[in-house]
Amino acid sequence: MAIYVLSVSLAFAFLLIVLELVRRQKLKEQYSLLWILFSVTLLIISFNVSIIEWVADQLGVKYAPAILFLFGLLFCFAFILHLTIVITKLTSHVLRLAQEVTILKEREVSHGQND
Amino acid sequence: MKTLIIIPAYNEEGSIAAVIRDIHQHAPSVDVIVINDGSSDRTEQCAINAGARVLTLPYNVGIGGGMQTGYMYAKQHNYDIAIQMDADGQHLAEELPKLIAKAEHYDLVIGSRYVESTSYRSSHLRRIGMIFFSGLVSMVTGQRFTDTTSGFRAAGPKVIDLYSQYYPIDYPEVEALIYLKRKGCRITEVATEMRKRETGKSSITPLKSIYYMVKVTLSVLMSAMRYDRTVVSK
Repeated sequence: MAIYVLSVSLAFAFLLIVLELVRRQKLKEQYSLLWILFSVTLLIISFNVSIIEWVADQLGVKYAPAILFLFGLLFCFAFILHLTIVITKLTSHVLRLAQEVTILKEREVSHGQND
Repeated sequence: MKTLIIIPAYNEEGSIAAVIRDIHQHAPSVDVIVINDGSSDRTEQCAINAGARVLTLPYNVGIGGGMQTGYMYAKQHNYDIAIQMDADGQHLAEELPKLIAKAEHYDLVIGSRYVESTSYRSSHLRRIGMIFFSGLVSMVTGQRFTDTTSGFRAAGPKVIDLYSQYYPIDYPEVEALIYLKRKGCRITEVATEMRKRETGKSSITPLKSIYYMVKVTLSVLMSAMRYDRTVVSK
């Protein structure tokens, strides 16, 4: 029984941490949604393990916990992909900013010389 | 014709001054802008002393980002022609008039090492890479190019505008060509002599050249699928 208490409290703590991060503006709402979804799912599964067994049965998986690993991994992949997309966008924004600033800086210097 | 020479430079203090002096000597009427891409040496000071304007980027953005800064500058200052040249001295200033003359009739003019006979000789591996890219680009664009990786290019107003909007980040030369062809630009090549590099050494190592081949091939195929072919030149 100890494992159920442990997993429920872990999932609950995780959900609280995510929400607290959003409250402190350390995490943007748009990025928190996936995490909230993840921790709520975790919580539901911890409360009711038979869900996993039912899904495993439906998919014909003999070892039910394997379902956990499968979806856990898939979630990680999806999230990492999402992160690299965000990084790509950030990189191009930073580049554009650096370019604009560089051009503005030169304009300021050359105008200063004319005055 | 208001003409700008764009020279991206990263730690090129040894050669940049000579390049700028050569340009002033052979094409006195053009403006020169050096894009100092976060150099840690005296590139900026050397370029200013030699009489060029300098744009210093706050960090090293890579060749593509630096080049694009030059095109953005050319666009904002309404230049008719922007010519990109290397800072290491391999592109010769006495060839500039050839490029400028052709640039009036084309959107992009490429200074080629291989069209007609120039004295340029390169290693076998490099040669194979060149032939491969030429084949790839001909296949995708339907136009034959002899020197797709040449960084000696003159751009007209249409290309200045297009490159200000988009320019590939690393190893940009080949993809930048496809992009223009897809946007309906008229491109031509002229034979230009090129010099062996004077200072510094090539950044291409065996491992990097494999990455180079894969990256460029991927970006060529991607840009071929990205823009539709229906755009026709005016």
